[in-house]
Amino acid sequence: MSASLTLTTSDRPDGVRVLTAVGEIDMSNASSFADALAEGVRPEGEPLVVDLTKVEYLDSAGLAALFPHADRIALVAGPLLEPLLTISGLADLTTVRRA
Amino acid sequence: MSGADTDPRTRADVFAVDGEIGPDLARVDWSAHPLGPPDTWPQSLRTSVRILLSSRFPMWMAWGPQLTFFCNAAYRRDTLGRKYPWALGRPANEVWTEIWDDIGPRVDTVLRTGEATWDEGLLLFLERAGYREETYHTFSYSPLRDDDGSLVGMLCVVSEDTERVIGERRMATLRDLGSDPSVIRTEQETLTFVSRQLARNPQDLPFTLTYLYDRDGDARLAEATGLPAGHPAAPATLSLTDPAAPWPAGALTEGDPVRVTLDGPAFADLPAGVWPAPPAEALLVPLRQQGGAPYGFLVAGLNRYRALDDGYRGFVELTAGHLATGIASARSYQAQQRRAEELAELDRAKTAFFSNISHEFRTPLTLIMGPVDELRGRLHDADERVRTELDVIRRNGLRLGKLVNSLLDFSRIEAGRMQARYEPVDLAAVTADLASVFRSAIERAGLSFEVDCAPLPEPVHVDRGMWEKVVLNLLSNALKFTFDGTVRVRMDAEHGMAVLRISDTGIGVPAEEMPRLFERFHRIENARSRSGEGSGIGLALVKELVSLHGGDIDADSAVGRGTTFTVRLPFGTAHLPADALTPAGAGRAPGSAEPFVQEALRWLPADPGAVVGEDGPAATDGPVHPLPGGAPARVLVADDNADMREYLTRLLRSAGHEVHTVADGRAALDAARAQTPDLVVSDVMMPRLDGLQLVAALRADPRTAGTPVLLLSARAGQEASIEGLEAGADDYLVKPFPAAERLARVRANVELARLRNHHARWRTALVDSLQEAFFVCDENGAVVEINAAFTDVLGYGTEGLPYPPVQPWWPDQEAEPDAHRQVAAAFSRLVGQSRGTYTVPVTHRDGHRIWISAAFNQVDDPDSGRRMIVGTFRDVTAEHYAVQRETALAGLGMRLSRADDLADALHGVLDELRKLWRAAGVLTAVFGDLPTPDVTGTDPAARWATLPAKRRQALLALRDTPLLTPVATRRHGAGIAVEHPHGTMALWIDLGEKRPFTEQDQTLLALLAGHIGQGLHRVHQIDQQRETALALQRAILGPAQLPAGFAVRYAPAAVPLKVGGDWYDTVELPDGRIGIVVGDCVGHGLRAATVMGQLRSACRALLLQDPSPARTLAALDRFAALLPGASCATVFCGVLDPVTGLMRYSSAGHPPAIVVGADGTPQLLQHGRSRPLAVRAGEERPEAEATVPPRATLMLYTDGLVERRRQPITVGIARATDAIQQGHHAPVEVLATEIMDRLTPDGGYHDDVALLLYRHPGPLELEFPAESTRLAEVRTALRGWLDRCGLAPAHAYNILVAAGEACANAIEHGHRDNPGGRIRLRAAATANNLRLSVTDSGHWREREQPPDPHRGRGLVLMRALMDSISVTPGATGTTVDMQARITA
Repeated sequence: MSASLTLTTSDRPDGVRVLTAVGEIDMSNASSFADALAEGVRPEGEPLVVDLTKVEYLDSAGLAALFPHADRIALVAGPLLEPLLTISGLADLTTVRRA
Repeated sequence: MSGADTDPRTRADVFAVDGEIGPDLARVDWSAHPLGPPDTWPQSLRTSVRILLSSRFPMWMAWGPQLTFFCNAAYRRDTLGRKYPWALGRPANEVWTEIWDDIGPRVDTVLRTGEATWDEGLLLFLERAGYREETYHTFSYSPLRDDDGSLVGMLCVVSEDTERVIGERRMATLRDLGSDPSVIRTEQETLTFVSRQLARNPQDLPFTLTYLYDRDGDARLAEATGLPAGHPAAPATLSLTDPAAPWPAGALTEGDPVRVTLDGPAFADLPAGVWPAPPAEALLVPLRQQGGAPYGFLVAGLNRYRALDDGYRGFVELTAGHLATGIASARSYQAQQRRAEELAELDRAKTAFFSNISHEFRTPLTLIMGPVDELRGRLHDADERVRTELDVIRRNGLRLGKLVNSLLDFSRIEAGRMQARYEPVDLAAVTADLASVFRSAIERAGLSFEVDCAPLPEPVHVDRGMWEKVVLNLLSNALKFTFDGTVRVRMDAEHGMAVLRISDTGIGVPAEEMPRLFERFHRIENARSRSGEGSGIGLALVKELVSLHGGDIDADSAVGRGTTFTVRLPFGTAHLPADALTPAGAGRAPGSAEPFVQEALRWLPADPGAVVGEDGPAATDGPVHPLPGGAPARVLVADDNADMREYLTRLLRSAGHEVHTVADGRAALDAARAQTPDLVVSDVMMPRLDGLQLVAALRADPRTAGTPVLLLSARAGQEASIEGLEAGADDYLVKPFPAAERLARVRANVELARLRNHHARWRTALVDSLQEAFFVCDENGAVVEINAAFTDVLGYGTEGLPYPPVQPWWPDQEAEPDAHRQVAAAFSRLVGQSRGTYTVPVTHRDGHRIWISAAFNQVDDPDSGRRMIVGTFRDVTAEHYAVQRETALAGLGMRLSRADDLADALHGVLDELRKLWRAAGVLTAVFGDLPTPDVTGTDPAARWATLPAKRRQALLALRDTPLLTPVATRRHGAGIAVEHPHGTMALWIDLGEKRPFTEQDQTLLALLAGHIGQGLHRVHQIDQQRETALALQRAILGPAQLPAGFAVRYAPAAVPLKVGGDWYDTVELPDGRIGIVVGDCVGHGLRAATVMGQLRSACRALLLQDPSPARTLAALDRFAALLPGASCATVFCGVLDPVTGLMRYSSAGHPPAIVVGADGTPQLLQHGRSRPLAVRAGEERPEAEATVPPRATLMLYTDGLVERRRQPITVGIARATDAIQQGHHAPVEVLATEIMDRLTPDGGYHDDVALLLYRHPGPLELEFPAESTRLAEVRTALRGWLDRCGLAPAHAYNILVAAGEACANAIEHGHRDNPGGRIRLRAAATANNLRLSVTDSGHWREREQPPDPHRGRGLVLMRALMDSISVTPGATGTTVDMQARITA
């Protein structure tokens, strides 16, 4: 059984697209996360907002999915994930907003 | 995963809980069973079955009208045996039909009353291994209720006690066999004792027969148990060769046990004893003897209800071993006892003989030699025959005197009292002179005599008297054994020595006799010689005399050709004691050679009579001088010996005196009062009134106060003679005395008496004639006068007078401070008190130690008026050492009985021996099975490898000497071979100084060595018993498998080593909680251990039934009240939730448990406390609750850990708390070791100690398949555990990610090529540290090519999130080990 993860992509009224992840992201389900990112990212315009506020676990498998899109996404994360994003260097490549 | 339908706890598959029994239960055809299919079972039955199956404690249950049987895996393994799986689902009375009579009523009781039963160690005969087996079970039956509360079944919690009950029974027999091993028994007593013990265990030994081999080659029945006398299976004797005999006695001489089936006619009606049926087999075990054929064998009838397994066989063999040891011990003790008694008896006889010789010989000698001399003078002109006969008498007297003197010389040398005076002499001339004395005798024998004594380059220092004896003895020997040819005397200087050779052409000495040639009293049997007489003492004396001169003697001989004796004496004086040297001519005058020549002449066929020795007293006895005053003197003679009276009468009358005789002192006193004589001559020893009393009485009477008294004695007690002389005796004569001297003394006394000037005379006579040591001191304690016996005893002569204090015989203050103090104390009494006695050690002039017992009186010197001290003493060395011997035996016994083990015993023994002999060192080497002998010494550094080669050689030689036979060297020490439990032990006592190891010392050593050998064997036996008891304790103690997070320790008391009644226990309860118990029974030893085992089992069962500490202890109260020895045991019982750390607990008089938090804060769990077990049983007990915080340490212990003499227990508890604080950063196993070490008192624990530690939470251990889909549940478990560790959420998250990365690594790397492998994760916390390890079972690739970018990122994350990380690749997998510090 894979870790439980719910991914929802929606377009806000202001046109910004938001990918909301709820649950845990590890190597068992990182590929669906990567698919959702690939689908949601647009080549131009406002970057895709990836809301990780409700993510209880994220490891290098999840980070690996985020890195290729670093310049086209903006992250929203809680305090728990923050050190991880900093250590991995992702915070230097993209914007991270505190939820 | 939610919803009641999918919850496994409510599913019908009730059997899935257990993988072993569950499938077999599922196979039962429940649809045809009265209970119906399991999914129709009531909830209560399903719950009961689930509890049953999930428990690791053996249980069975019965349910429903048929009492349907269920059991779990533990019960199957321990009890059910071959009845599985047949028994499942069957009615219980069918399953246990063979014991239903026993258990049926109990089951009924439970079902009827709803009350639980409890049975301890119930004997049940089970058929589970193919035979009816004796088993013991402790079990409780508890009621089971249906959903509506009605009684429908029972649950039985069982623990099988078979091993314990049978083990204890056998232990008890072995213990009883070894009980009171200090009592030494005769062989029969040993056999009877053993028999009595064996008869007390009819379960394991239904019957026993002890057969011993006798000298005729048969086996004789010595003891029997369990069989009536005269039973055909127990014939009184067994032939070793008779094939029809009931027992194969011959086969057992080979030394191996034999198993015999009892099916012959002799076994037709064996008694059954305590069992339903008699034994079917017997085991015959030889009674092995160390290094010899067996003593016999033990027949043990075997309990047919137990298989002859290793344990049973071992028990029978140990029993036989005990019996054999007992027989060996009794036989060797008997032999040693006999030997020691013989030695002691010999020693006593010899001492008595020598000391009595003077008394026994001198009186008759006086009565022979005196009259003979007189007669020879008187019968100068008598006929030839009379003269010849007189010469015979005289010669024999001389010969007897010579023998007495030789013996006395010997006893002096033995006692180290031979006084030699070495003066420089022209040895060639002296020797030639001596030889010439023999010339006439040798030539008369028809032999030629050649004397070749060329002058030597320098003088030789000899004692002339002794040298004379050497030469004369050798010459006399040569003449005695030579019948034709030549006797040669030759003197040369060779290699700085004077060499005397005395050769003959006589019969020679057979080679086999040569080694014993110089042995005392040894005579060569059947040798042809000129005379059959001889004491066998001559050559032995010669050898002793030569060695006193620092020389040596040897003999060279060939049978039929002759013998040459060669004596070598060194020139110079370096080899002689300086204080025994005297200038030329000052030494002792040579004695008379006459006895030797007279004796030799008499061997010759035609002895024409004595021509030498014309210097007898008779020849010089001149005419009687008229007494001053002209009138003849009236002499009163008092003696109880009629011969002596007549002789004295004749002697005195011949001198013109008027003699009156009486037979005792009383008659003498009467006669003297009736008519005052001019002189009284009195024997000292007389009936009615002895000589001393006579003197005192005469002096007390004014009429006789002035009458001179001359005392005669063969041997006078010296104190008595002092008293006598003080009372006024005037002279003192010691027998034998020449008649002429005797007369002169009488004359002098009469004259002196008449001149009233006898003072100086009696003094001189006194001092000269006393046979025991006498001295006079001035008021300052300087010795101013001594006698010859003084010199004999101490070695100091008159030439050194006066001897001012401190005298040279005082022991050296530096070397022997104790002895010096004793003498100093005696000295201050001597000069300070008017009279007294004392016994002190003093040092002989030659350095050896002697003990003297002295008496002294103060007297006023009538001449000077000065106060003087007169004292006497005797040598009490022998008595002293006899006392010492008793003391030494007692001391050794004490050391042996107090020893903790064999090594300790040996150290104690060596120490005693060293003190006893004041030795420089004592050393032993045990030659056992090891390649290197095991060396023990008073020097703790002694090792075989570092011993001098010479010492090693000596020890090896000692090993091969006969056991218990002392080997002494002349100056350095002594050794002996002793039997040690591990082999022969060579024991060496190094005296380290010039001190002889006397024969008395040797006797003592032999006696002590016998005791040592026995004592060591006893200690060895006790050692083995103790080890067995400890092994038993450990076997009973504690669960083999501890729940995670726990560590336990048990240590027996160290001084003295003994097991006790402490225990610890953990019980995994069905609801996931853990019962924790630490307890302490009263007392020590096997008994306490047994009580402990029962309390422990009971406590376990009770906790399983009802997991409440207070109710468990209350129930245990009732149990303990019925169990002898269990009362007043203390117990701490807790039930811990390993998830929350919450613990409910209750204490029965036990010291409080300690909790130390991660920050070091201590907390004592001292609520819930009440009285010890079985004190006011029936009352309720309190219960309290405490929480073990995250990363805190919980400690339970028994009082042995914290109690110290003269300290309140709070000090010990504080010390234990401190020890936990010091070690709370260490894993709990390490901490347990640290606490036990840190709290060990000097010399080890005085009481036994049980210790139980728990660190909350216990380590997390997970194992899962290497699949990414499992990671989520692993994280869930780890998250929960981290929460229990009390970590802040952010910190916990970091660790979770690091662990996740490590697991992902393991899946990706470790198992990429190896799918289906497993991963293990372990997490453990200490107070300030967390350690996490992930192990896979695959191989990582050497190096990722190209490096996988996001796996590399994983490692970066792990390093960043944890404080340290290490990766250890191994053959079977890779381990990632990570640590993180935790700050409180």
